[in-house]
Amino acid sequence: MNLDVIISYIPLYIEAFFLTIRIGWLGILFALAIGLVVAFIMHFKIPFLSGIALVYIELFRNTPLLVQLFFIYFGLPKVGLSISAETCGFVGLGLLGGSYMAEVFRSGLESVPNSQTESALALGLSRKQLFLSVILPQAISQSVPGILANVIFLLKETSVFSAISLMDLMFTAKDLIGLYYDTKEALFLLVIFYIIMLLPVSVIGSFIEKKARFRTLGV
Amino acid sequence: MKKNNLKKLLATTLTLALGAATLTGCGSASAKDGSAEQTSSEAPAAQEQSTDKVYRTLDEIKESGEINIGVFSDKNPFGYVDENGEYQGYDVYFANKLGEDLGVKINFVSTEAASRVEYLETGKVDIVLANFTVTEERAEKVDFALPYMNVALGVVSPKANVIKDLSEIKPDDQVIVISGTTAETYLEKNYPDIKLQKFDTYATAKTSFENGTGVAWANDNTEVIAYAIENEGYEVGIPSLGSQDTIAPAVSKGNTTLLDWINGEIETLGKENFFHADYEATLIDTYGKDYEETLVVEGGKVADAAEASSDASSASSEDAGAAASDAEASTEASSAQ
Repeated sequence: MNLDVIISYIPLYIEAFFLTIRIGWLGILFALAIGLVVAFIMHFKIPFLSGIALVYIELFRNTPLLVQLFFIYFGLPKVGLSISAETCGFVGLGLLGGSYMAEVFRSGLESVPNSQTESALALGLSRKQLFLSVILPQAISQSVPGILANVIFLLKETSVFSAISLMDLMFTAKDLIGLYYDTKEALFLLVIFYIIMLLPVSVIGSFIEKKARFRTLGV
Repeated sequence: MKKNNLKKLLATTLTLALGAATLTGCGSASAKDGSAEQTSSEAPAAQEQSTDKVYRTLDEIKESGEINIGVFSDKNPFGYVDENGEYQGYDVYFANKLGEDLGVKINFVSTEAASRVEYLETGKVDIVLANFTVTEERAEKVDFALPYMNVALGVVSPKANVIKDLSEIKPDDQVIVISGTTAETYLEKNYPDIKLQKFDTYATAKTSFENGTGVAWANDNTEVIAYAIENEGYEVGIPSLGSQDTIAPAVSKGNTTLLDWINGEIETLGKENFFHADYEATLIDTYGKDYEETLVVEGGKVADAAEASSDASSASSEDAGAAASDAEASTEASSAQ
């Protein structure tokens, strides 16, 4: 392996790293927002909306991100709706992630035993208090492991962004291989940068997981 | 207790990371062995058993009864899959001839521009016949046989805003290229200020260009000329850019038996004007008669460019404008050389 080559590639990888992180995290925030809203709709069985939510979840959970990106990036301009590649990337990631997050939040909400609701009502808590201080905290702490797994999954899904000309880590590596044919160096840096991106998420994530569990359940 | 768990987690992840690093290490080591093997490939001893050698010799290919040829599946009319699911095009026509003369069955492997060298370096294909332009950088990694086609770079843009010179491209404008092509390398090297929008396949680049995400598309001139002929409202503003290059079959570095056989084959085929027949079977619908002498290289001998261009300009046709500009381009190129 050639060290000079590696050093000369690093700035390009750093640029790609920040692009991947920027779009990745925007997409994840978008996914969390969608997930929460959809989970509430499903949990409280809001008429009409819960039907739409179900269709949304099944549609986006059962199609690959690549297909969704193709549709948004190459399909929508044909009907006159043109959006930039970056917007496309995080919207696609958010829509895919939202369907997964919704299921995680929903199972979290459902995992709170009925006795909790009954006890809270017996103690005279209002509906709002019941939801905000009894159900939601327990539901979220139950959801943390699932959310964490999805965050890592979504950050890794960014590797298909190359299809819509976004210079993410994966595409940078592929492009450099195509330009200069230094395969080993390009792939080595690719692995390293993905680890730099994902390792902290895993470590910090499991820390949060424990904290959240301790706070709500005391164990 | 909690701390302990965290430590355990850290230890595991670190082990995994190290494992990954070792894996890539291993990969590079074996690749090195491979290249060492290739340089000493003159020694035929122990060729059969060697697992390090990435490529297959001519005899091994014949014995197996199958040859793997890397072609494009989305570059009409050079290498593409037709409506019946069959590979077609100028490169494929030649590939079929090679398979026929070798007496083996062909497995076509669809490649992307950027992975053509990789496919050969890892021995996943025996020959790449994917409109592979001969360049110095590539020749360090793979072995090129004799050429069978001429090529230069070209830039196509919408008629409403034709770009006739690269200096017309505004700082905010983006030019579409395909990752791993000579157009990308050329623009990266010579025009670092031009913003490139990179795609990994021909299909996505084309769709994106149609959607108007870039002001122009730079690629092999054969490709952009074909695009402008087939699609209304586009014009090849720059028919020739950079140097005049050739396109040739490529094999894994050091695979001399296969290389020699292909070279012999190209020379023999030249005597029967095979590549002219190839042109007339696959390219004439797109380019017409005018480009035949400009594009075709027969018997591995690059024709005198001046002669070829006079041929092209003397040809009269409906498409005289485009033909003349291309002829001009090739004279320019030949005088530059």
